[in-house]
Amino acid sequence: MTAALIVLVLLAGWEALVRLGGIDDLLLPAPTQVLDALWTDRDLLAPDLAVTTWEVLLGLAAAIAAGGAVAIAMHVSSEARRALRPLVIGSQAVPVPVIAPLVVLVLGFGLAPKILLVALVCFFPVAINLYDGLRDTDPDARKLLRSLDASRWQTLRMLELPGALPSAFTGIKIAAAVAVIGAVFAEWSGSDSGLGHALLIANGQLATARAFAATFLLFLLAVCLYGAFALLERRVAGWTPRSTPGGP
Amino acid sequence: MTRLLLPLALLLLLLAGCGEKEEPSAAGARDTESFTVMLDYFPNADHAGIYAAQASGEYERAGLDVEIQAPPDAAVPLKLLQAGRVDLAISYEPELLLARDQGADLIAVGALVQKPLTSLMSLGDRAIERPEQLAGKRVGTSGLAYQSAYLRTILEQAGVDPSTVKETNVGFKLTQAMLSKQVDATLGAFWNYEGVDLERRDRDPEILRMEDLGVPTYNELVFVARRGDLDEVGASRLRRFLQATARGHEALERRPAAGVDALLEADGGLDRGLQEAVVDATLPVFFPEDDERPFGYQDPAEWAAYEDWMRENGLIKRPAGRAPLTNEFLPGEGLDPGTSGLG
Repeated sequence: MTAALIVLVLLAGWEALVRLGGIDDLLLPAPTQVLDALWTDRDLLAPDLAVTTWEVLLGLAAAIAAGGAVAIAMHVSSEARRALRPLVIGSQAVPVPVIAPLVVLVLGFGLAPKILLVALVCFFPVAINLYDGLRDTDPDARKLLRSLDASRWQTLRMLELPGALPSAFTGIKIAAAVAVIGAVFAEWSGSDSGLGHALLIANGQLATARAFAATFLLFLLAVCLYGAFALLERRVAGWTPRSTPGGP
Repeated sequence: MTRLLLPLALLLLLLAGCGEKEEPSAAGARDTESFTVMLDYFPNADHAGIYAAQASGEYERAGLDVEIQAPPDAAVPLKLLQAGRVDLAISYEPELLLARDQGADLIAVGALVQKPLTSLMSLGDRAIERPEQLAGKRVGTSGLAYQSAYLRTILEQAGVDPSTVKETNVGFKLTQAMLSKQVDATLGAFWNYEGVDLERRDRDPEILRMEDLGVPTYNELVFVARRGDLDEVGASRLRRFLQATARGHEALERRPAAGVDALLEADGGLDRGLQEAVVDATLPVFFPEDDERPFGYQDPAEWAAYEDWMRENGLIKRPAGRAPLTNEFLPGEGLDPGTSGLG
């Protein structure tokens, strides 16, 4: 409730700043102008939103698959851990704006470079959180399974993976929030549709309100993805005990 | 394990499928040869004649299946051309000369825009009407070395001490830098595009053109090919492409809306009013000043003067080699063998 109030006050201040001539509206449009662009350009922006959403979903899926596989490999094999850990950390150090044009040059202007770049941005949070989750298994439970003669695989499947779910979801939610960044940089490096492309074209002809509308949709996309995974988490991993911060 | 592997395998298949989709489909090309042209920038009114040719079927009649591709950024077209990823690229005369200086065996085969579009621009009440007024001012550029050299030449010609003028790289946000008053003027915005856009928004741009300020004139946009591609087959395709493109520009001159329609078809995000205004402004420089010359004509003397200027300013280092341009593939140029630069 207070959050909504803060946002409203900020928006009102922004509106006033632009309306009263503090800032040129070709540089910073007022919130109402952005809203207007959102409505008048809806036929233009809707297909772009669909394109970017699709890129983000596929890239996120690829990151979850690859990140999951790498995290499990690192968990079960110390050799894999030694070999992969620098790569996993390195994947986070790659500046996307630098690598995006190169990826596009090699993979072309289709869907593949977008998926790869989204996956690259999302890979690290997914892999590292799942890996930490797997490691943090209750040692007593592990001891119990060992005394029952459970195999390494059974321990993973029955204990470690389910136990790592909350942590895995944390990684996926972070990934969902940053995935759009990868998609936008990929689109800036060569595309003919998507919200990143819309941003570029709008900026090129001073259609600033439309550029902000596209940015707003990107923001909305990230929030919705995050929300979707939070919901999924509650259904899949709702059984995990959780302490309420600030509680007794 | 299978539960985990199956989605993974499906995903890999999906990724592979995405890669395949980019291959040009062979189904559409029966008698026509495919021909890929890379633009210098995202589709805009500078390309209206090309889109007009495409929409009116000129390329198809010339036996070409032309694919028009937009580049990720303005630095890329010549690289992709050199790598053989496209058949023809649109670029800038200075960029071509720079690439050749790096050893690229590329050649301009026609001019899309005859004059410089780059201009010195300022706004409204802070307008700079004469280059002398630049003293003590801050000028925004896109950080290209030849833009800095233009500025130096302009200041020299105007007798202004270059050390009093501050140059700032503002990337491609030239208009924004002017509107926010971060700079007093910019060098790099196109008079036919940003200039027209600002004019239409009543921002009262003051525009000074390069060739009026002492910078040698040049062809802002040129069609560039790889010299190695110009064997008999390649030359035939190129000749047909340029002829069809010339007809597209004639159609554009007769009815500008035809080109703008085709342009908006290619990218719905473009603003019709702006694109029409830009086509109107650009039409005179799509064609050579001299009526006797064909569409796309490049003046070898102007090119030589511009190349000399680049060398004097240390932008290119190598001694002049083979001609950087040829007019021999232009419509009707078989009749005028004197202008050939290939050889």
